[in-house]
Amino acid sequence: MRAVTGANLLTMSGVTAGYGGGDVLQGVDLTCVEGTVTCIVGPNGAGKSTVLRVLSGLLRPRSGTVTMAGARTDRLPPDEILRLGVAQVPQSHALFPAMTVRENVLMGGYLIRRQRALLAERLDMIGARIPIVRERAHDAAGNLSGGQRRMVEIARCLMLDPKLILLDEPSLGLDPRSLAAVADVIRTLHESDTTVLLVEQNVRLGLGLATHGVVMEGGRVRLTGTAAEVGEHPEMAALYLGGAPGQTPGRDRPSARA
Amino acid sequence: MTSATGTPNQLRLLSRIPASHLAAGAAFLALALYPVVNPWNAYSQGVALLAFLLAIQASGWNIISGYAGYTSLGQSMFLGLGSYTVAIVGLHTGVNPFWLAPLGGVTAVVVAVLVGSVVLRTRGHAFVIITIALLLAAQIIATNFDALTNGSDGITLELPFWSSDYQNIPFYYAFLLLLVLAVLFSAWIRRTKFGTGLIAIREDEGKAAAIGVDTTRFKIAAYGASTFFAGVAGGVYAYFLTFLNPVGAFAILGSVMIVLSSLLGGRGTLYGPVVGAFIVQGLNEAATVYGGGTGSRVLLMGLALVAVVLFLPAGLLPTAQRLWRQRRPQTVEHTDQRGALATPSRADVIEARDRAELGDGEDRADVIAGDDVAVPLLELRGLTKRFGGILAVDNVDLTVRKGTITAIIGPNGSGKTTLFNLVTGTMAANAGEIRFAGRRIDGLPPWKRGHLGLGRTFQVTRLFREMSVLENVVAPLPDGRWRTMLADAVSGAEADRARELLDVVGMGRFAAQRAGSLSYGQQKLVELAQVLMLEPELMLLDEPAGGVNPSLLDRLKDVIREVNARGITFLVVEHNIPMVLDLCDPIVVFSRGRPIAEGPPAQIRSDPIVLDAYLGDDWRPTSSGSGGGPVPGGSVPDHELSTGRG
Repeated sequence: MRAVTGANLLTMSGVTAGYGGGDVLQGVDLTCVEGTVTCIVGPNGAGKSTVLRVLSGLLRPRSGTVTMAGARTDRLPPDEILRLGVAQVPQSHALFPAMTVRENVLMGGYLIRRQRALLAERLDMIGARIPIVRERAHDAAGNLSGGQRRMVEIARCLMLDPKLILLDEPSLGLDPRSLAAVADVIRTLHESDTTVLLVEQNVRLGLGLATHGVVMEGGRVRLTGTAAEVGEHPEMAALYLGGAPGQTPGRDRPSARA
Repeated sequence: MTSATGTPNQLRLLSRIPASHLAAGAAFLALALYPVVNPWNAYSQGVALLAFLLAIQASGWNIISGYAGYTSLGQSMFLGLGSYTVAIVGLHTGVNPFWLAPLGGVTAVVVAVLVGSVVLRTRGHAFVIITIALLLAAQIIATNFDALTNGSDGITLELPFWSSDYQNIPFYYAFLLLLVLAVLFSAWIRRTKFGTGLIAIREDEGKAAAIGVDTTRFKIAAYGASTFFAGVAGGVYAYFLTFLNPVGAFAILGSVMIVLSSLLGGRGTLYGPVVGAFIVQGLNEAATVYGGGTGSRVLLMGLALVAVVLFLPAGLLPTAQRLWRQRRPQTVEHTDQRGALATPSRADVIEARDRAELGDGEDRADVIAGDDVAVPLLELRGLTKRFGGILAVDNVDLTVRKGTITAIIGPNGSGKTTLFNLVTGTMAANAGEIRFAGRRIDGLPPWKRGHLGLGRTFQVTRLFREMSVLENVVAPLPDGRWRTMLADAVSGAEADRARELLDVVGMGRFAAQRAGSLSYGQQKLVELAQVLMLEPELMLLDEPAGGVNPSLLDRLKDVIREVNARGITFLVVEHNIPMVLDLCDPIVVFSRGRPIAEGPPAQIRSDPIVLDAYLGDDWRPTSSGSGGGPVPGGSVPDHELSTGRG
């Protein structure tokens, strides 16, 4: 893995935000260093997805600031933020079901729709990285299974060659093989210096892929550090990995796989 | 009536009534007293009673179009039907129109139910178009059916028998009474399971059917219910006007005003349509006084409609409520996942399991003893489903035996969720048959299958976003009887059980929150509680662990085991292999739309064909090794296989 030497690409400070019923985020401070993969973990409803929604501009924070490579983004509309190179893969329901897989992926390049050569080049590159884009190119996205849609959603966000990719539970609904493929895509992204911020319930997978880890709880950041530090933190193991003290961890792991 | 100077006890009672009801009560008192205070102003009474009339219609419209979400653009037809019924019967019998008014309501309901039985069988926009067409058709019929309606000359009724000095006052009170009844009726509907079912239809009709809501019958009943008070009011209105003609009785402007009132005040709220009606009638009156003829009013109402849709899409009351909430933010609850793992609740489950074992000990023993000869609960024979050229489910034979926790695993796109959709009736199969408890169910609508004992959760959660969490959990209907429909939506024992289930999944603190404000994982947990509520014979769970925090997975397994111990069968689609191996037996492996292996966990775990099909590259025949994404080492590392488990 590359040594991490980059500057802060993204800084969130003191962000509070909610959906009208009160603040889901209660003062979040978060940084993403350029070229790293940061994984946010935490209980359901801790505000992980909300952080991503604030970063991509889908939700305007009530207070606090977000800066992306030095520029304030917390008051910008989503398309401006996309132009700055922040692409989000949401948790669900993100494809246009009546469009083909190819059309869906091309929609990801809407901002560069006039540059046909670049579009074609990117489409080829993505097709090579995520095979389903090529193989099911002319099937309607609505006919894909949940896991297949997931792959297409990730493929689509790559069309703009973003600087920062926000992935909301990339493992959701994926079979082991697709999971390995998605993990591979994330590794490739990391190798090509793209900064990734992901939210993941599959803590092992998420922290395994990440260089940095963030633990959220109750709308606040509780713990930050390198992925290894976070993964090995005793409190972390007790609270979020399902192995509360006194329970036998890994009770359910198969003793041998074959 | 509670007086403001009551005992402290009464005051406390008063403070517990929501502010909106208090405001409505005060408004009612003021309106009821107004003619007493100012008896000689016939004009202002006339304006007010027309506002009542519009509010009665808007409240009714709100039942079909606000609660159930099926927009009727011809709702003023029912006022006309009521008017004509009362006028014609009155003319032939000589009975005073006041006593005949309920007949107008009956006619309206009969016509609505007949029309609804035809139109509301389908989903979508057909209903909107047909309601307009009906309004125009009614006008044409009234014009041409001379023998009954006296054609375009219209019908003249007898004059009111009381002195013209206080002419408007009896009508004023009649309409006010009808308005109060219409609002109470609307409030009552909203409180019943019927009302919850209507909201469910508006939010997600497919899901509503899946939890046992007979969507066709609900929609027809709602359409009928939406017209009764409009029909009665129509009878009174005919008497008030004393003259009736087709163009006046079936005017499109009336429908526009009804729709505008409800949208302005707040569609789907109890008081919104009433508030909106008062404003719209005020505007209408101003337009008549200052603006000239009917043409200008149509234009004005049209523009007002556009303005409301553009600038106030939620309506006045919901917008005011939102602003109010923004100014005083509530504290947001966060999931009690540590609480969910804490000792007491765990002990509860174990205790419950013990209880279940004590209670149904023998049944359970039977199931275990006769494992290999256990009764088939669900049998699929030759089931096939195509999407375009893709064979999603390919001639599947599958048996789920009673009392088991059967798993289906397999690669993405192998047809697992489609199989669920076929079994629950969300989709129709191209071929094959489905038997549930020995009975053929493939021709039945989804809600009938639900009543027979099939429950399911969805891969992508489909909660009713506008309902509270608790309402969501109690929304499923166990049967299709009227008594069930008209029972309280959230009643004692049921609500207790729902709260218990919410506690079990760690969501107890969220009971009163709007489901749409929850995160994905939280919604997933609420949906599980929702399907557990029905305790169906067979529960289909589509990726129950997806998006759920690992710390809750043990809990989830406990819950499933506990419910299973009571004799309920599970069919689970899940990618979390450790969980499947631990929880399920037998395990069925799907690949390319059909089962390729079935057996106990020990066997499945070591079956090379299974490992190859599940982890290998079988679905896409050409892509193996192509491009830059080879599967690391040809096998999947342990941390990825043990999805989400510590």
